[in-house]
Amino acid sequence: MKLIAFAEMKLIAFALVGCSLAAQSLDPALLLKPPTDTWPTYNGDYSGRRFSPLSRINSSNVTAMTLAWEYRLDPGAGTLTSTIKSTPLEVNGVLYFTLPDHAWAVDARTGRQLWHYQWESHGGIHIGSRGFGMYGSWLYFETPDNYLVSLNAKDGTERWHVEIADVKQEYFSTPAPIVIRNHILVGVGGDSLDVPGYLESRDPETGQLQWRWNTTPRKGQPGAETWPNPESMEHGGGMTWVPGTYDPDLNLYYLGTGNPNPVMAGQGRKGDNLWTCSIVALNPDTGKLAWYFQASPHDTHDWDAAETPVLIDGEMDGRPRKLLAQSSRNGYFFVLDRTNGKNVVSKPFIDLNWSKGLDAKGQPIGNPDKEPKPDGTLVIPALGGAANWPSPSFDPETGLFYINASSSYSLYYLTDKADKPEGYGGRDSGVYSTLALKAIDYRTGQIRWTHEYNRPGPAIGILTTAGKLLFTGDPSGNFIVYDPSNGKILWHAHLIGNLSNGPMTYELDGRQYVVVGAGDTLYGFTLLQ
Amino acid sequence: MKKLLALCLFTAASVVAQPPPAAAPRPGGNMLITRSVPDAAAVERGQKNFVGNCGFCHGTTAQGGDGGPDLVRSPLALDDERGDKIGPVIEQGRPGKGMPAFHLPADQIQDIAAFLRSRQQAAIDRSAYSILNVVTGDREKGREYFNGAGRCHSCHSPTGDLAGIAKKYDAVTLQSRFLYPRPRPGESQPQITVRSATGQSFSGTLEYLDDFDVALRDAAGDYHSFSRDGRVKLEVHDPLAAHAELLKKYTDTDMHNLLAYLVTLK
Repeated sequence: MKLIAFAEMKLIAFALVGCSLAAQSLDPALLLKPPTDTWPTYNGDYSGRRFSPLSRINSSNVTAMTLAWEYRLDPGAGTLTSTIKSTPLEVNGVLYFTLPDHAWAVDARTGRQLWHYQWESHGGIHIGSRGFGMYGSWLYFETPDNYLVSLNAKDGTERWHVEIADVKQEYFSTPAPIVIRNHILVGVGGDSLDVPGYLESRDPETGQLQWRWNTTPRKGQPGAETWPNPESMEHGGGMTWVPGTYDPDLNLYYLGTGNPNPVMAGQGRKGDNLWTCSIVALNPDTGKLAWYFQASPHDTHDWDAAETPVLIDGEMDGRPRKLLAQSSRNGYFFVLDRTNGKNVVSKPFIDLNWSKGLDAKGQPIGNPDKEPKPDGTLVIPALGGAANWPSPSFDPETGLFYINASSSYSLYYLTDKADKPEGYGGRDSGVYSTLALKAIDYRTGQIRWTHEYNRPGPAIGILTTAGKLLFTGDPSGNFIVYDPSNGKILWHAHLIGNLSNGPMTYELDGRQYVVVGAGDTLYGFTLLQ
Repeated sequence: MKKLLALCLFTAASVVAQPPPAAAPRPGGNMLITRSVPDAAAVERGQKNFVGNCGFCHGTTAQGGDGGPDLVRSPLALDDERGDKIGPVIEQGRPGKGMPAFHLPADQIQDIAAFLRSRQQAAIDRSAYSILNVVTGDREKGREYFNGAGRCHSCHSPTGDLAGIAKKYDAVTLQSRFLYPRPRPGESQPQITVRSATGQSFSGTLEYLDDFDVALRDAAGDYHSFSRDGRVKLEVHDPLAAHAELLKKYTDTDMHNLLAYLVTLK
């Protein structure tokens, strides 16, 4: 009896696997596990750690890592950008990734194209597309003209699209949607002309709105006291540029919000400007705010706090802690208690010159002398920040948080001295910068090791694995593997350009692949066989 | 490898050839402006009409005034295409909010719409914002800094390489350039000497340097590249290293004083 039951179970299991392969469908349970044969969401799993438990490629054999395939995309004539910023999803042996207005599926073993979908654009600023979210057999991505588009994973045909923001109001959308149960969480961007930011939850079957959380309060709401008047908060910015992270046990979605508007001219929005430049915890079922921590009260330097809030199940003073860490654009490394938002660590990870210290809540206090001035102020970091949207990584085995940090200088000019400035209200002029890979001890914020590149570069994404490896790029177009414990270089290859997305990994048929995008080319690496 | 790099004086920024950007620029222009730019003559006509008819309440710059809302950030005005949304409002007024009706011909409404779009695009296009007066410092203190704490005089001279510098660059450009010049081909490039694994020595202008490879062009114009294994020794001299070091030391007052001095070098 028992034996038969076991055999039956195996048959059923086989049938299910076969079935899911045929349907190209994502088992939602995989979203709750560390990524192995599947990379089902932007960061691989909900934690944002970008740590893979895979170890087939490891520190003892990585010198034998070699190119398995490359896929150079061809979005066609008239495309405004062909730089891959999206982290591909990998589900049932297929990679899914996006560009602004474009989406592709390629075979994860060979890089062979399965389909290409093109959205007919109504405009919008085309700076990037971070990728897909997936629910069952359906894919979801956002377009520069602010549509949430749902595609059939099987063949890339469009199922439906819904508008999530108005391109004529100067919104444009870049994030990868995050799927939590039956919620498709979509963010919006656009900071040219003082529109208010929000996060929405959409129904996976219909695209209908489930809830919207505004990143700035409205008249009479909590937080309104941090703005001078209703008009300023209704035009206060706070975009939701980057996908957040999720703790299933606490049922909280963690999101970093964008900077306030007008971006560089703060005189029309005196006050802290909640909930811009903040790390917030939201209930994904209701959109209700559970807590917030503001990384840059009253920002005037375009330093959003949109960088990935990475969830760390750590230990401090001998007891387990549920923590959250962010290397913020303003140059501070923050660690919070993610159950309540209380500050644990606030420590700069570059030498910055704009802060007068910390307030009682651990939030930095800006030096008004370093706000933009008509004749210019010299500020570290530059407008692009010490960190930006590219993914950091946390390796639970080393206990270190990794970030490609930019030590940079900008001149910040106030160009609009009016009581009620509009748009940016100021300009910057980049002066100088150097990039470095830094390993930060999450318990203290101390930098354990640094690899200096001695040249400027864009922020570049990072992946760590249980193979005791750290994958990232340098600003000279090299894809590099480091020893995460000490920063020693173990392997490298020169690609067509700088890494332009976050590296990701998966294992199929006993082979581990590491996939990176550089410019218009996606590369798959594996071990020599 | 890290040790070797630490020995080098190399601190240059944008001097090493970057990989070419993969992204194609927007055909014909400005990434920030994604809607059509109105005709300049229509904008001018629309401005006169707007100032005369609408400016009293909405402000002459359309940013709002006594009683009338801001039309630069107005959702309705942003939604408008050639008067299709603002036309009915102008025609009918907003009786409940105190706005009277204005009976204007269609072409004048289109001109006003063109003016409002131009005002919106002026706010949107931060790359075209005008920088205000940057020469606010004390010239004499700037001269003292140049010859004293800044140690600028150890490489530069107001009657030598910097003579006429203020004729060459406007004040805003000069401010950026003295902080950290972005070298043009042939100017202020880092120089490098590489001693190869076989003991041969090569000197020239640095063309490429990363953790793995280095390349230079010698005085004869020949290109040499080397893998940076442990046997290759580098010595890099970056003439701009002092600029990078000084960035850590300037106060904004130093910076403004120094600019006030440099703009006198005409």
